[in-house]
Amino acid sequence: MSEVGDSQKIWGWILALCMAAGLNSAALADAQKLVLTGSSTIAPLALEIGKHFEKLNPGVRVDVQSGGSTRGVIDARVGLADVGMASRALKQEERDLIAHRIAMDGIGIILHQKNPVKSLNDDQIRAIYTGKITNWQQLGGEDRKITVVNKAEGRSTLELFLHHFLLKNPQIRAHVVIGDNQQGIKTVVGNVGAIGYVSIGTAEYEEAHGMPIHLLPMAGVPATVANVRAGRFPLSRPLNLLSKGTPTGLSKRFIEFAQSAAVDDLVTAQYFVPLAR
Amino acid sequence: MLKNPYRLSDLLMTITVWFSAALVVGAFFWLLSDLALHGIAKLNWSCLVSAPENAGRDGGIGPILVSTLLILGVALLMTIPLGLGTAVYLSEYSSGALARSIRMSLDVLAGVPSIVFGLFGNALFCIWLGLGFSILSGGLTLACMMLPIFIRSTEAGLTAVATEWRHGAAALGLTQAAALWHVLLPAAAPAITAGLMLSIGRALAETAALIFTSGYVDRMPDSLSDSGRALSVHIYDLSMNVTGGDQSAYGAALVLIVLLVVINNVAASLADRFLSQRITTS
Repeated sequence: MSEVGDSQKIWGWILALCMAAGLNSAALADAQKLVLTGSSTIAPLALEIGKHFEKLNPGVRVDVQSGGSTRGVIDARVGLADVGMASRALKQEERDLIAHRIAMDGIGIILHQKNPVKSLNDDQIRAIYTGKITNWQQLGGEDRKITVVNKAEGRSTLELFLHHFLLKNPQIRAHVVIGDNQQGIKTVVGNVGAIGYVSIGTAEYEEAHGMPIHLLPMAGVPATVANVRAGRFPLSRPLNLLSKGTPTGLSKRFIEFAQSAAVDDLVTAQYFVPLAR
Repeated sequence: MLKNPYRLSDLLMTITVWFSAALVVGAFFWLLSDLALHGIAKLNWSCLVSAPENAGRDGGIGPILVSTLLILGVALLMTIPLGLGTAVYLSEYSSGALARSIRMSLDVLAGVPSIVFGLFGNALFCIWLGLGFSILSGGLTLACMMLPIFIRSTEAGLTAVATEWRHGAAALGLTQAAALWHVLLPAAAPAITAGLMLSIGRALAETAALIFTSGYVDRMPDSLSDSGRALSVHIYDLSMNVTGGDQSAYGAALVLIVLLVVINNVAASLADRFLSQRITTS
């Protein structure tokens, strides 16, 4: 007896699940939905901009997915995303897309606070990353092995770093390969001999909040948010939204909103640098 | 041996066993107290029901908890019937080449890195089946990851049931289905429950497979076809990607641990009740 009751219950559940899925996909078609995918650096910012955009435009939904700049390029190209996100300039072969800059980010070299080395020139950094210099003593520091922290393939910070220092990734002799900025900072904090590179906004925040790291100046320009905004800092990158062709409709309105002065406080809150207007 | 219980080898053995147990418990409590120390300040009732703000630094985790439970629900609805069916097939129906190849593929699947499941789920559920970034896609992908663990432990439990029980059931004139339902599955209940708990643990801890399937959206989901951020994805994003998100990450991690304990207990007691009922009402 109870056997029948139980199996009925299970089938009821399965039926309910199917119906819920069916009904909901029908309801979804009514709402105006904008899908963004790409750079995990931009994703938290885009999420915040999206929430404000939703408030100003009732009935509109902005879905943000992360996964990396290259994914943003691919998804925008094949139409999986209405708008892509890339935390770098477009490459030559990606010029079929249009980039819309919404903010700036600078990349700074970080060392552990206990490391007495206070500046490095481009040649020295190149020598460290290619494994020609392996001890801080060779650079006027203490007798300590250098731990080279590099970014994982596909990260826009890696591409910007390689581009600036005229390096190719296989040349780099990395001891640690990391993904996100926070991971980079945590790796350097945990290793006095480490050298890494991360977003300046993030590093400035963590340094101010007691993380034992220090940012190196590049070519004599201190690594500060102010210098990135003024365009003085050599190692900086744009944060771009990508569209396939000239944006229209909802995408156009969203991109215009993301480029307006209305989002400056959101940009600053994520430790990025608002556009100079 | 009983006359002299404190022989050196026994003493060494006792010390080793105690030390191992203490080490395991100590490691867990260290982790828990570290989480509690950093995270407890962040936790209160409003944090559990309100939406995240400022990329998760402020506000709560309400929508994320709902998404997490929905994803887990979908995964369990797929895993339990499919897993029980496969396990029964493996232990009761087949012993040939098909069963061997199923076992082998399950063992390989159990060791596949979760990011591979993520990319697979993204390609199959999100794109090919057109489910998009959704709780449904995430739950189905998780089910793929949970199935090998659940099937193998359930199968082990069924195989361990003595053959006399099957003979006894047959002698009483029970059909094979009735014997399975009233005798074998209840007898294998501890193994089934253990497999269920392991699968739930793996599902709740999963990050890589979910970023690409259920996604990153931290809004309260309206339906199973909405994208929804799982708790583990939220913790990963806060600690790895959001400047100044560490505090909130600790809070969310503490919630995740508590959630895991609660769900495990609920699942264990439900499975116990359901399966012991079979034996008594038959």
